[in-house]
Amino acid sequence: MLAVYQITLRQLTGKWRLLIMAALAGMPVAITTMMLSSSRSPRVEEFEMVVLNTMLSGSIIPLVVLAIGGAAFANETEDRTLANLTLTPLPRWKIVWAKLLGVISVAGPFIGLSAFFTGYIAFLGDPTATIAITASAVAGLVLYGAFFTWLGLKTTYAIGAGLMYIMLWEGFITGFVSGARVLSIRHYAVSWMHVLDPRRFPNVEHPAVASVVAISAIAFAGFVWLSVRRLRKMDIP
Amino acid sequence: MSADATRADLHPGVTGTVFDIGYRNYTGAREGIRRSRLAVYKDGLRTALGIGRGGRAKILPIGFMVILSVIGLIMALIAGAIDRYTSPGMSRTLNLPSHSDYYGIAAMILFVFAAVVAPELLCRDKREGVINLYLVRPLSGSDYILSRWFAFLTVILAAALLPQIILFLGLLLSDPVPFNYFKAHWYDIPKFLGAGSVMAMYTTTLALLTASYTARRAYASVFLVGLFVITAPFTIGLAQELGGPAGQWVSMFNLTNIPLHVSDIIFGDVAELTKIAPARQLGPTVLSLWCALWIVAPGALLWSRYRRLTP
Amino acid sequence: MSGATTPVIHVDGVSRWFGPVVAVADVTFNVMPGITGLLGPNGAGKTTLLRMITGLADVSSGTIRVFGERVRDNAPLYRRIGVMSEHETVYGFMKGRDFVRAMASMRGVPDIERAVDRAVEMVDLADAQHRPMDTYSRGMRQRMRLAGMLVHEPELLILDEPLNGADPRQRVQFKALLKRLAADGKTIVLSSHILEEVEELADTVLLIVNGKLAAAGGFRAIRAALNQRPYHVRVLCDAPRKLAAEVCSLPSVDAVKFDPDGALILLSRNVTDLQIELPKLAQTAKIRMHRVEPLDDSLESVFGYLVEG
Repeated sequence: MLAVYQITLRQLTGKWRLLIMAALAGMPVAITTMMLSSSRSPRVEEFEMVVLNTMLSGSIIPLVVLAIGGAAFANETEDRTLANLTLTPLPRWKIVWAKLLGVISVAGPFIGLSAFFTGYIAFLGDPTATIAITASAVAGLVLYGAFFTWLGLKTTYAIGAGLMYIMLWEGFITGFVSGARVLSIRHYAVSWMHVLDPRRFPNVEHPAVASVVAISAIAFAGFVWLSVRRLRKMDIP
Repeated sequence: MSADATRADLHPGVTGTVFDIGYRNYTGAREGIRRSRLAVYKDGLRTALGIGRGGRAKILPIGFMVILSVIGLIMALIAGAIDRYTSPGMSRTLNLPSHSDYYGIAAMILFVFAAVVAPELLCRDKREGVINLYLVRPLSGSDYILSRWFAFLTVILAAALLPQIILFLGLLLSDPVPFNYFKAHWYDIPKFLGAGSVMAMYTTTLALLTASYTARRAYASVFLVGLFVITAPFTIGLAQELGGPAGQWVSMFNLTNIPLHVSDIIFGDVAELTKIAPARQLGPTVLSLWCALWIVAPGALLWSRYRRLTP
Repeated sequence: MSGATTPVIHVDGVSRWFGPVVAVADVTFNVMPGITGLLGPNGAGKTTLLRMITGLADVSSGTIRVFGERVRDNAPLYRRIGVMSEHETVYGFMKGRDFVRAMASMRGVPDIERAVDRAVEMVDLADAQHRPMDTYSRGMRQRMRLAGMLVHEPELLILDEPLNGADPRQRVQFKALLKRLAADGKTIVLSSHILEEVEELADTVLLIVNGKLAAAGGFRAIRAALNQRPYHVRVLCDAPRKLAAEVCSLPSVDAVKFDPDGALILLSRNVTDLQIELPKLAQTAKIRMHRVEPLDDSLESVFGYLVEG
């Protein structure tokens, strides 16, 4: 499993890729800094909607994770190297786990640091708010990571499908149809922020802690299970 | 008795010829470089639309076109319903979204469409080495990239104009006297054709330039979308912060708005998305030249990346 | 350990279709220890069949058992199998040694460094093992893939077009290696277009034509079974036309003809009797024979008869 993890790390890191991820991840920090240095600082609700919800959870995290997670298996399929992993005694779940851990390891530092500094700067170093925002971002990373890793196995058009999901489903439909949030990863990720720091976001309706943890765990386990199943059933190119 | 005599006796009056069916040169018409370019163009069209590659390859391009068209259809239906249940022309009085607002509403979808489809035209050829097969023909790198550019432009033009046509027809048919509507609003046609063409050229050039830098479609797609996602809020925030002429110039780097400003100029109206953009203060000439620069400069860079390519 | 009569690979009524296209049609055969060659024209279904045997692709119907077990979705079985596909499936960014080490690690090889040393030595790439594989030639990449396949000492080796990109010296080395491995008791299945090499290496051949198994077994036995096709035997002698007139009386001769050089060609479905009758006849007729050679006692001719019909 370590060998698969190491191969994945090597595949997903490249100078330009890392630079682009750093640029994307730096955006919320830069915007937050600008907002705070402005004469008209936004209210918490405004900041949460624009920066945390729409930008960080709705655009930056899914885009970064799509680029990394969508490529985890898709690159192997395209290069026809997936057989190197499947023609081994490694159980399929170990291969999927190794790939997923690779995705999280590569995207994690960028997403985590971006969220940490965004929260730290926005809320003037308040630890609860900072941890809540960082945990929300990490939850989003893990959930998107599992989803896009599965998508990369499922179809060679993972990027297109992923972008449609991000732009149309998360960016548009869930904003208008409240029931659709049940199928929204962004909603689950943002819920972590609300439950971990309820006093900061008092006007937001949020589920109980146990529900958030349970739903996130089910969603994550579901996508991992789908990935393992797909790897077992598919014809390996 | 000789063999020939025998043959003649058996088949009187029949002669035989043996044909040399070895290698024969092609003696038909040779159609030259125009035919080569047309072939690359057609192949680009087919690739972008997924033609000849099974159902799944068509889902994304057709799906996007349907979504864009549905937006135009919904706008037409809403305007038609309001005009029907209140009074004719009420939709205009209420300033409901119309042709001038369409690109502001659909711009991001169009950019994502380009981000997803454009890499198919260039990245695959680079990755699989097919570009070398093109270049060993009497086809230069310039011919190749120009043909691909026109192919993708055709597809994006269709995506940009079809919804506007649907919207126009919808508004036309929802008028009790369609001819009167046409007489009053025929000038919307050249306007949306012009704005759509600018949108298409801008999107095509940027998308293909991004795709030309990598052999992996995924990275090209995400980078292009990321570019629009980054520049929009960053420039908005920074422009607001700086204010004044500095803010206006920073606002010019909002890549999403560049073609939309030109659309505003053509329609003589301002879309919701560009209403708050400080760049508007710089005037139509500067905005138009800026958009032209963002088409010509990336186009030139794209051409320079391919013109010296050898197999 | 399986007995001598237990097949290593048992393919039973296997078919595979892709929509309306039937790639493999109701194929049944057993593979025993030794070298088995899988032959067929392009598009015959060889690669599809190998992919099903290795579990990379599923069967549409039928069963495949390797070492008595289902191969599909049976990861532990890969400890005993080594596969080399026809595609260049390497990670270009990896050094050769690192690639082989990764393959060993994924297969749970106990003493990894020693196993890697041995595998790299076996393919004669010790000098290049510390270079990234995207700097290798095609033949070198092929050899390093072979090292990756052999590092865990599998009992069954499945190779799809292994000689692609190999230069003549590498071919000789590769053939020697395969013979050594077969002598060590390994089972080898290799698919190839190069008939002369399969003829030299393989104890048995499987001939696939249009997705169907056209023939199986030793190629000479297959040739003998093609009794509707007479053997062509070329005879170089002092008086070919005189000998031609004499051999027409032999019951083992079906027809005679002359090649463009004037040499006598005999067509016979009973070469066993011909071997006895011909020298006697030549002696009686006082005709000196210089050379008697079969023209189609080769895998190529068997392949041609079965493929072309």
